[in-house]
Amino acid sequence: MKKSTVKKLLVAMLSFAMVFAMAACGGGSSSGDEGSSEGAAGALKIFNSKMEIQDVFEGELADAYEAETGVPVEVYYSSDTVAAHLSTKYASKDPYAVNMVDEKDLYSLAKEYGADMSDMDWVKDTNYAVTVDDKVVGYPVCVEARGVIYNATAIENALGEKFDPASIKTLDDFKAICDKLVKAGMETPTSIMKEDWSLGAHYLAQFIEEREDVDGYVASLKAGEAKVIEDAKFNALMDTFDVLKEYNMWKGQEGSAERELSEQALAEGKIAFMFGGNWDFAMMKDFDYTGGAGMMPVPQNVQDDYTGKLVGGGSKYFYVDASEGTSAETQQAAKDFLAWFASSETAQKFVSETCGMVSPFGSNTVTCTDDLGASVKGFADADMLIPNYPGFPDDHYSVIGAEMQKYLAGQCTREELATAIENYWKAQA
Amino acid sequence: MNRNTFSYKLRQILMFAGPGTILFFAVVVVPFVYGLYLTFTSWDGVSAHKPFVGFANYAAAFSDGAYWVALGRTAIYSIFAVVFINILAFALAYLVTSGVKGQNFFRAGFFVPNLIGGIVLGYIWKFVFNRAYVAIASAITGGMAISPLSTTGGAMFCLIFVSVWQYAGYMMLIYVAGFMSVSDSLKEAAMIDGCTPSQAMRNVTIPLMRSSFVQCIFLSITRCFVVYDVNLSLTKGEPFNTSVLAAMHVYNQAFTYKNYGLGQAEALILFIVCAAVGITQVMIGKRGEVEA
Repeated sequence: MKKSTVKKLLVAMLSFAMVFAMAACGGGSSSGDEGSSEGAAGALKIFNSKMEIQDVFEGELADAYEAETGVPVEVYYSSDTVAAHLSTKYASKDPYAVNMVDEKDLYSLAKEYGADMSDMDWVKDTNYAVTVDDKVVGYPVCVEARGVIYNATAIENALGEKFDPASIKTLDDFKAICDKLVKAGMETPTSIMKEDWSLGAHYLAQFIEEREDVDGYVASLKAGEAKVIEDAKFNALMDTFDVLKEYNMWKGQEGSAERELSEQALAEGKIAFMFGGNWDFAMMKDFDYTGGAGMMPVPQNVQDDYTGKLVGGGSKYFYVDASEGTSAETQQAAKDFLAWFASSETAQKFVSETCGMVSPFGSNTVTCTDDLGASVKGFADADMLIPNYPGFPDDHYSVIGAEMQKYLAGQCTREELATAIENYWKAQA
Repeated sequence: MNRNTFSYKLRQILMFAGPGTILFFAVVVVPFVYGLYLTFTSWDGVSAHKPFVGFANYAAAFSDGAYWVALGRTAIYSIFAVVFINILAFALAYLVTSGVKGQNFFRAGFFVPNLIGGIVLGYIWKFVFNRAYVAIASAITGGMAISPLSTTGGAMFCLIFVSVWQYAGYMMLIYVAGFMSVSDSLKEAAMIDGCTPSQAMRNVTIPLMRSSFVQCIFLSITRCFVVYDVNLSLTKGEPFNTSVLAAMHVYNQAFTYKNYGLGQAEALILFIVCAAVGITQVMIGKRGEVEA
């Protein structure tokens, strides 16, 4: 009798063990890059969504912060979509104290969970802080801008004369230099990426962003009043797009344009121009880079207040979590970290030198080591950046990007593209 | 010990069926019911608030043109993929059970594509179509070939091709088991009665393998309807969003466009369509099954 009780007990324990072991397997972290949320006691938990700086962020910077302030920091990264990953953390009541998100996410996540940082000193030191419901919740991590990337070395080698990007003011100037490059033997001086985010959210979006009353124009698009095909800005940008298409290294096979190959061609000086942003440098520098790359505005024949400026602004923002999952002390520790990240020499060097990012803070005078970043920094310091418009719907880049892909591949006319844009906005009303 | 008491039976049930039942509830029933609840909210996937909206998401799903186009595209993709997967798998199974030299090696070889994950497989084939194919075709024709992935029909063809390549080896194993289960004596008897080999195949072997067909077709239909990994890594919906299949549309709707409730409602419709097709096929298939 006794023996059978022991046996029963063993069987019961075994089955419980199995259930819990399997439940534990299921509940564990699914992606290897997303560390366990159980950190060392008292460590400040930071979520980073810029993959390219994860190694130095969790290593070099975290160590430096602990050495200077005595506060341990743990930096996490996830390959998951930012909003999806953070919503999991909120659902499990285990949020990060500091979260790095895209501007769009601030209006959903930080609106609900973000701590008010209005009274902090760094707010006065930047033009890029984001305010939601009268509270400063978005702390800019870096500045990014889009425009035409040029390779001055390639141009100078081909033409045998000095290249001054400021000399390319209009589309006619741009076309003239492309013709000269072709004559000098560079068969296809430009490249256009086929990615929907590049075409839809970065290129085409400019025609909405480069105007005085962006909200008013979007409202008239939604009301079906604005005629896109008659819009001077739209036509100016599409004229430039046509020229980029004409000299495109992917001409005839636009749909196969691979981003890495375009970046490689530009870095190695096989082409001279590509529409893109300073983030492209991270890839360009890994190829046989000739040096001499920089950014210039998209040349257009319409001259207005926006001529000579890049479109850009803060990219990636920190917000401090103020939900019940983060105590008041931890929130203060998070704010202290952000204050340090903006003003300490160590952090400024980290941003501009180690990561090659463009600092959004005026007090950071460390020279940016990244060529495109240095170029963007020049525009930012001269107040020559046109702000990104944060009000595009979430599916805008995909739906309009697909229409731009059609236009790029010659499968629709400019009129059809304009109609598609009008229809898209009317459906948003 | 009295084995007829209620408590004894309950303990037995809990001991043997309990762990499985708990797991089944935890990973299938609870998420399903919770998902069902989310279809009645306008949750964005992030917020702590989940406003109740009744059947609005279902109404929105029925009027979401892009979803129905994606679902129609998935049906076309599935029809072609299922037919070719099964034809190829059957042919391969016949080949590797016919006594050809090194047939065990071939069995393993044909099965290998199934061991590579869909994401990796998509990237491998993307390279093949975008680079290798273009280079070879350009060299042969002397002109500039374009990648099939950059054309509307071409992208769908590539999706079907890669799926067939991926699943044919797996289905082949089921057909191999089917072939082995048909006794040689039956085939011999048919031949003695005057059947040609092809008649024996048609009238004896294939009818006796009906359960293999039912299984393979069921598996391939259900897998094709919810395919996402190959779709993501091979075409990513391009060109011009013309290769977005239903699962990708649902994912985008829920996570990229932040309409979680709507995405969940569309996922439920996809599940119902998939289950209806699968169950109908199994019922029809089982009806005429022959017991040997």
